[in-house]
Amino acid sequence: MDIITGILTTAVLAGGVLALAALGEVLAERVGVFNLGVEGLMALGGVSAIIAVTIVPNPFFGFAAALVVGLVFGALFALATVTFRANQVLCGLALTMLGSGLAVTVGKPYSGMPAKAQFDKVIVPYLSDLPILGRALFSQNILVYLIYLIIPAIMAFVLFRTRHGMNVRAVGENPAAADSAGIPVTLIRFVYVTIGAALGAGAGAYLTLAFVPSWSDGVVAGRGWIAVALVIFAGYRPFGAVFGALLFGVITALGFVGQARNWPIAPPFLSMLPYLGTIAAMILPVFVWKRLRLGFVAPAGLGIPYFRDER
Amino acid sequence: MAIRFVRTPIVSSQRALTARIIGFVLALAIGAIVLGIAGFDPLHLGTQIIVKSLGSRFGLEDLGLLYTPLLLTGLAVTVMAKMGLWNIGADGQFYLGAFVTTAIGLFIKGPEPFMLILCFFAGAAGGALWILVPTLARAYAKVDEIITTLLLNFVALLLVYYVATGPWRDRVSGTTASTGRVPYKMPEFFGSLHWGFVIALVAPILFGLALRYTRWGYEVRLSGSNPDAAHYAGIPVRRRMISIMLLSGAIAGVAGMLEVAGTVHRLQGGISNNYGYLGVMVAVLARGSPIGVIAGAFLMALILNAGIILQTQGLTTSAVLALTGLMMLFTAVADQFAHYRIVRTQAATS
Repeated sequence: MDIITGILTTAVLAGGVLALAALGEVLAERVGVFNLGVEGLMALGGVSAIIAVTIVPNPFFGFAAALVVGLVFGALFALATVTFRANQVLCGLALTMLGSGLAVTVGKPYSGMPAKAQFDKVIVPYLSDLPILGRALFSQNILVYLIYLIIPAIMAFVLFRTRHGMNVRAVGENPAAADSAGIPVTLIRFVYVTIGAALGAGAGAYLTLAFVPSWSDGVVAGRGWIAVALVIFAGYRPFGAVFGALLFGVITALGFVGQARNWPIAPPFLSMLPYLGTIAAMILPVFVWKRLRLGFVAPAGLGIPYFRDER
Repeated sequence: MAIRFVRTPIVSSQRALTARIIGFVLALAIGAIVLGIAGFDPLHLGTQIIVKSLGSRFGLEDLGLLYTPLLLTGLAVTVMAKMGLWNIGADGQFYLGAFVTTAIGLFIKGPEPFMLILCFFAGAAGGALWILVPTLARAYAKVDEIITTLLLNFVALLLVYYVATGPWRDRVSGTTASTGRVPYKMPEFFGSLHWGFVIALVAPILFGLALRYTRWGYEVRLSGSNPDAAHYAGIPVRRRMISIMLLSGAIAGVAGMLEVAGTVHRLQGGISNNYGYLGVMVAVLARGSPIGVIAGAFLMALILNAGIILQTQGLTTSAVLALTGLMMLFTAVADQFAHYRIVRTQAATS
């Protein structure tokens, strides 16, 4: 029983990083922009959160600082890809390199030091005493509740239950038609890509303030890319992203537990699990759930810059 | 008089080049300003870079050693870009080439020339093997190759880290994160510069010739520019895609093999030095031209060498990665700007 509770607790905690970043990416991809810069945004968010809590030792301040940095770099990315309509793959890779490089350079003095402030556990009375699930679900830091419930609920409601959400999805599916209907394509793309980037940076802050909690070179370790892959796996749906992230949290947790309990597998091989699992998760559904995939298709306008004069 | 921006679908190469140079200079200027704010003297650094990398024999040797892997990883990315595919996993394939070479070096004894040839082909095979799963997934299930190739980089890094710190750890010199010395060495011809440099320099030319003058090359080009048309013309597009992806992985694997057999002589965690990612930048600079790779890789080698000089001044190599990202962003935007012309029109009189 203890081992299951342990795995689940770590899984929820570890999955939160991926869930928040994937939620941000869902926003960007729903409006038709493929943001490959998540990895860089997470690095930037992580390091700015650490620097912020060194100045003001309050985790919320650190998280807010990461969001602001995410907004700035997200706006830069949106300026390049949405306003200037530059190649999204290139700009995304560029953002990853710029973000990762900058974060390591700026974060050098803070490397390896424990975070000066971190998100503490919020223990929900009574519920946390439930067997097995109690500790995993109701004894986590406050961001976990925000990431697993509040943000996806808001996103799902806005995207699928409001007129504005329909407009947003239309921009991602068919920008030309949306434009004809009077929807401001460029504005909507710009705003949602920027918000999505802020969430990506927020995931970095979660990583360094709640999960690890410290900054070091390579702490992001490809989580941004796993988040991008998760969005495909999740069928571009907010709760799909959260569920997928939790699944990957379990894989990550298995690796940790294996290391802690001295399973006869070398730690580097256990660390490979999330990456191999992601690749498997991208390939397997094609063979297994052929019919299910019909509901999981990418927005039709994804990755294509919109030029009004080429309509 | 009113000013309007008019988009032209086709851009002359001269316009494209001008736009890129402007973008590049802007990115460098921003980098210089940031360095200036951080308390470095950008002008002094700039002259240091030029003098140290081009002004001395040692500088040229180092430049050549950085140039070699960049030529090959840049070519690897360019090869796949010919069919509209992105190989972001050249880093991982590079690691595998290095891994296989080290395995042969540590465990198989034989005459050096023969063993080097064996390493060459084994390294190529290792790189190709590393891209095999993304290739099949892309060809048969349309799984996005960008993410699958990239994620395997982390797996390769962990594998190399495992052997370098674990079973193959150097027990003689006592270094903790490196394997023992690989006994087979690429012959050198200019100081420490080895013949791998020549191989790397010839490879883009060979690929360019194959693309232009062979049937395979023609079919690849056609499949890349219009897969539907190629399919109707009876070209096996999927088989060409598989061959081009495996070739790309093999080239990156050779880069790793040469790095071990020619430059580093042992396997260690950071051996790829981001060459795979920088190769993407080289390919972007080359704009799909194999000959352009030679120029693009040279530029990146200069920048990377600059990074090493910056390191002696107290900056990390990550600063170079950041600068490369900035340049890539500006290049991408410049490519788009090149499509626009400013047209002055007579304002309509009402």
